[in-house]
Amino acid sequence: MRIKKHPILEFDREKKLRFYINGKELYGYEGETISAALFANGVTTFSRSLKYNHPRGFFCGIGKCSSCLMTVNGIPNTRTCITPLKDGVEVKTQDAYADLPETKHKRHKKKVINTDLLVIGGGPAGLSAALEAAKHGVNVLLVDENPILGGQLIKQTHKFFGSREEKAGTRGVEIAQQLRKEVEKQENIRVFLKSTVFGYYECEQNHCFGMVKRREDYTEEIYELHCKSVIFACGAMENMLAFPGNDLPGVYGAGGVQTLMNVYGVKPGRRVLMVGSGNVGLIVSYQLLQADVDVAYIVEGLPKIGGYHVHAAKVRRCGVPILTSHTIVEAYGNERVEGARIAKVGKNWSIIPGTEMDVKCDTICLAVGLTPSIRLLSQTGAEIRFIREAGGHVALHNKNMETTVPGVYVAGDGSGIEEASTAMLEGKIAGFSAAYKIKNKAFDSKPLKLYHEELERLRDGPFGVKGRKAKEKIAVQWSDKR
Amino acid sequence: MKMKNKADVVIVGGGVNGCSLAYQLAKKGLDVVLLEKKYICSGATGRCGAGIRQQWSTKENTMLAMESVKIFEKLSRELGFDIGLRQGGYLIVVHDKKEMRQAEKNVEMQKTLGLDVSIIDSDEIKEIVPILDVKGMHAIAATFCPTDGHADPFKTTFAYAMAAKKEGATILTHTPVIRVLKEKNAVKGVKTNKGEIKAPVVVNAAGVWSKKVAETAGINLPNQPYRKEIMVTERIKPMFEAMVISFKDGIYFSQQDEGQILGGIPNPHERKGYLTDPTFSFIQHMSKTLLRYAPPLGYLRVIRHWTGFYDVSPDARPIIGEDDKVKGFIHCHGFSGHGFMLSPMVTKLLTEYIADGKTSPFLEWLSLERFKGKTIQKEVSVVG
Ligand SMILES: Cc1cc2nc3c(=O)[nH]c(=O)nc-3n(C[C@H](O)[C@H](O)[C@H](O)COP(=O)(O)OP(=O)(O)OC[C@H]3O[C@@H](n4cnc5c(N)ncnc54)[C@H](O)[C@@H]3O)c2cc1C
Ligand SMILES: Cc1cc2nc3c(=O)[nH]c(=O)nc-3n(C[C@H](O)[C@H](O)[C@H](O)COP(=O)(O)OP(=O)(O)OC[C@H]3O[C@@H](n4cnc5c(N)ncnc54)[C@H](O)[C@@H]3O)c2cc1C
Repeated sequence: MRIKKHPILEFDREKKLRFYINGKELYGYEGETISAALFANGVTTFSRSLKYNHPRGFFCGIGKCSSCLMTVNGIPNTRTCITPLKDGVEVKTQDAYADLPETKHKRHKKKVINTDLLVIGGGPAGLSAALEAAKHGVNVLLVDENPILGGQLIKQTHKFFGSREEKAGTRGVEIAQQLRKEVEKQENIRVFLKSTVFGYYECEQNHCFGMVKRREDYTEEIYELHCKSVIFACGAMENMLAFPGNDLPGVYGAGGVQTLMNVYGVKPGRRVLMVGSGNVGLIVSYQLLQADVDVAYIVEGLPKIGGYHVHAAKVRRCGVPILTSHTIVEAYGNERVEGARIAKVGKNWSIIPGTEMDVKCDTICLAVGLTPSIRLLSQTGAEIRFIREAGGHVALHNKNMETTVPGVYVAGDGSGIEEASTAMLEGKIAGFSAAYKIKNKAFDSKPLKLYHEELERLRDGPFGVKGRKAKEKIAVQWSDKR
Repeated sequence: MKMKNKADVVIVGGGVNGCSLAYQLAKKGLDVVLLEKKYICSGATGRCGAGIRQQWSTKENTMLAMESVKIFEKLSRELGFDIGLRQGGYLIVVHDKKEMRQAEKNVEMQKTLGLDVSIIDSDEIKEIVPILDVKGMHAIAATFCPTDGHADPFKTTFAYAMAAKKEGATILTHTPVIRVLKEKNAVKGVKTNKGEIKAPVVVNAAGVWSKKVAETAGINLPNQPYRKEIMVTERIKPMFEAMVISFKDGIYFSQQDEGQILGGIPNPHERKGYLTDPTFSFIQHMSKTLLRYAPPLGYLRVIRHWTGFYDVSPDARPIIGEDDKVKGFIHCHGFSGHGFMLSPMVTKLLTEYIADGKTSPFLEWLSLERFKGKTIQKEVSVVG
């Protein structure tokens, strides 16, 4: 299942590693996660569900769900999609429950870190925020749960839209690389990877968070973080769709599939049904073709294609039919997806009888939108509102990206689903505002004004409509509150 | 749609006690309106450990709890909905001689009431909860009652609420009571954010907010709020069914049906005031103590941690019954951290009083008036 030849990417497979699944020996490569290595070996069932004993496998690929939990070197419930493969590691499937290991638990002493600014999330928003704040002289702690910095950029092989200032025309993977290099150069940015900020706690002054860092030996270390300000750049989660069979291995988030292919060079299957024709659905379909995977259909519930026309035209040219006013009715299969049934939908999404069609496929990709990740942010008590155009619940924030809790900022998809270009600008604005507040300096509004103008330009185009509406609603509700 | 503006009884609060009362009173044929300021289970009920224990130091609490267990045992069938009752027992750790003397006294009293309870040694402790480290937790023995246990607080309360609606009760969520209306010395109804409802009887089952509700009727309650923190881990293979508690360390924990370990402990660094945020010091103190009791649990991650409030009365016993100054004002609060397990019996007594005018020695024993002038007999078997 490994991709051998790719038009854009090269996969570094220098060091071969041996590992075991339920005692059986398999091989993977350094740089792969456990999930990716298992997948490459054709293993798609990682555990069994509690109630109905259904197979469970990979889903989101970025540590946001619990689909890939396995026992790793005796440690139960490990998220294998973000856990790097090591030589000799023993992986076990979990049958409804994991067992506790026999070995004695090794406790690491808790550590405390004090910093000016905490940035949670190392995607384009978080990276830009950290860089901007660091330039203004504050100490930054940048945390991301994945093994690589870059957020969703690390899997985006296509050239970006947007403005030249925000690196349009450059591939996402390259933008991530550039930002990473800049971050490495900044002495006052301290980076923690494979680390999750898990909770917000009472604190008499400043802000207090708990963080867990996953060590090389798969054990975990606890940190207590104190900061003057915090920027939440936590990105988004992929939406699920309700249909019978949606929990079968083989039904994956489109972003998850993108991670598997473009970061780890592993094919998700042989023939894919793509659900959703927004940009994510279109782009991932094209990338599947680039990885030599068949795309049977793209189905879209609405009467028209959601994404950019260039992207749609590209996949059409490759012979992939896009069926609008169609949806998935059911996925079927035993241990994994063996096919799906799709049908035409009429008004109110009702299925038109007699239009059902069988699609033979081993993979179903869901590209049905994203929801801002706000669970951690909401613990701060920041005022949360449901804004449809933002993709769900988001924190109210002002123009400087500060929420209703002083010193708590948001940026990027976590403040409303948009794009990497807007995420970077929002990151800069948040980083700038937070730095000035920490330094207790009067605002030099010039750079801020430039960032705002740039943001407006981006949102002015025909594809900025949703983002613009979302931000307008947020601004109105913010001023209603004051 | 206009809100109902008249009822026989208005209940303030949609926790386990308010919902149970609504069900029982409606079943008796009364016209009941329950008003909840947020949503069902948004108060202490939806945040609690939902442990059910009959091992108490006072006879009255033991009797209340034993009667409650009898009701819990039949509740799923009665309400037509599984409340998730599991009777895996409570294992109360005895740490030293002093605790042993109290345990012996308690067990003797509990046995005279017919409770199946005994003092067990370290081997028996290990049999019931194999992962316990008897040395680590400094135990010399334990008391164990196999019919203690826990139920699902959400399922129980929703079951009551659904059954209440079936019996004709009206339940309005997102409807705070702003004020209790009085005429001379009698209750006349309540004022809500959506209008007034006239009623000759108003039950104050507003949990930790009961003090505020009572104030609007000119009644001063001695209750105090105490922040309590509680946590739950990820799932792991089921290993034990008992709730383990220690009065000395203040810890309690059990394993839920689906494998999570749930438990709490008082925070030694607790600050004063009405604070609602979880603290980092709790999670550290809890995990340290928990690992001393059950070392293998170190491999488990905490997945949630939240706070709730105990509504504590001066003697840690509930305050129930009609106010002696304001006619028609019914107290149902002060549960002091054990209002889930006592709810079946407490609400039964109140129902019989409101619907049939039936009194009971319990109502007298748990009346607000008990604090006037008398010395109080405090319940000592309290955790969390
Ligand atoms: C297929 C696809 C194509 C796209 N094409 C374009 C395009 O052409 N142009 C464009 O501008 N945009 C594009 N986008 C959108 C763009 O990728 C996102 O809008 C952008 O990545 C959002 O950036 P972010 O920093 O807000 O979030 P993310 O990139 O999602 O980064 C968030 C990071 O935070 C981390 N994190 C979250 N919570 C925690 C926590 N508690 N502790 C530690 N770490 C945490 C996550 O692991 C993640 O790495 C595309 C997206 C997709 C999926
Ligand atoms: C961490 C923790 C652990 C616990 N563990 C246990 C245990 O193991 N066993 C046990 O028996 N007990 C336990 N308790 C105690 C138990 O939770 C409570 O005693 C019990 O739930 C009280 O129920 P209630 O219905 O009286 O009040 P609540 O559940 O607090 O309900 C009161 C309701 O009134 C509403 N309200 C308030 N003001 C107004 C108003 N003005 N208008 C309208 N509505 C209003 C509130 O929104 C709330 O929903 C625990 C408590 C906590 C906090």
